[in-house]
Amino acid sequence: MERRNFLGFGVAAVAASMVPASLVAENFRETKPKMWQEATSAGAITDMYGTTDGIEGKIKLKAPKLAENGGSIPINIKTSVDLESIAIFQDANPRSAVAAFTVPEGAIINYDLRMKMRKTSDVTVIGKGRDGKMYKTVQKVEVSIGGCGG
Amino acid sequence: MKLKAKVKKDVTKVKVMFKSPMAGPEEAEKKKIKPEFIAHIIGKANGKVVYEVSTSGFISKNPLFKFQFKGAKKGDMLEMTVTDNNGKVTSDSKKIK
Repeated sequence: MERRNFLGFGVAAVAASMVPASLVAENFRETKPKMWQEATSAGAITDMYGTTDGIEGKIKLKAPKLAENGGSIPINIKTSVDLESIAIFQDANPRSAVAAFTVPEGAIINYDLRMKMRKTSDVTVIGKGRDGKMYKTVQKVEVSIGGCGG
Repeated sequence: MKLKAKVKKDVTKVKVMFKSPMAGPEEAEKKKIKPEFIAHIIGKANGKVVYEVSTSGFISKNPLFKFQFKGAKKGDMLEMTVTDNNGKVTSDSKKIK
């Protein structure tokens, strides 16, 4: 009986690991519902990728060092590395995940968006390359007036 | 939704602005409204996915997104589809200039 259970588990694990690769587009809202509920960056990143490590210096994150209005902080992420997904996290709000991009093949990674932060914290941008390596960048953003209704 | 797309030397630059309060549960409670934020955005040019992002309530309200992609020509159609947290789907399309 134990052996049968073990085999079944193995098959399920293989099937689960094959699913993301077969999908052309991935909706992280549906595939990773847990990461959107995590309070800390470390927890959310672990939910999404299984690790918080990454090679630094390959992703360029442009964010203000001092943001006057925490309700609208312009963020730009840019990289020439061929990534399959990239996501933004922070520790200032009740939940950590801000946005998770699925990068279509051959796309240019140069994304602009505006986010909200309640207080000063680190902003982490982490991505997974098509070669399987992880890349990340961390920058501290100081907020003088908190956004997000805070 | 306001949508602008311009092609220059094979690179299409897109600016898109959505109308949404982007209020997560905490913020909605404070403002006494229903939580409403954009959860998923997908951009397609000629049926091919060029942009996809899952978002949370911590993006600014009436958010502006900018992105670039390759492989589209002048006159192609760009279609953006947005799903909010309540499952409401909005879509809009525009010719690439």
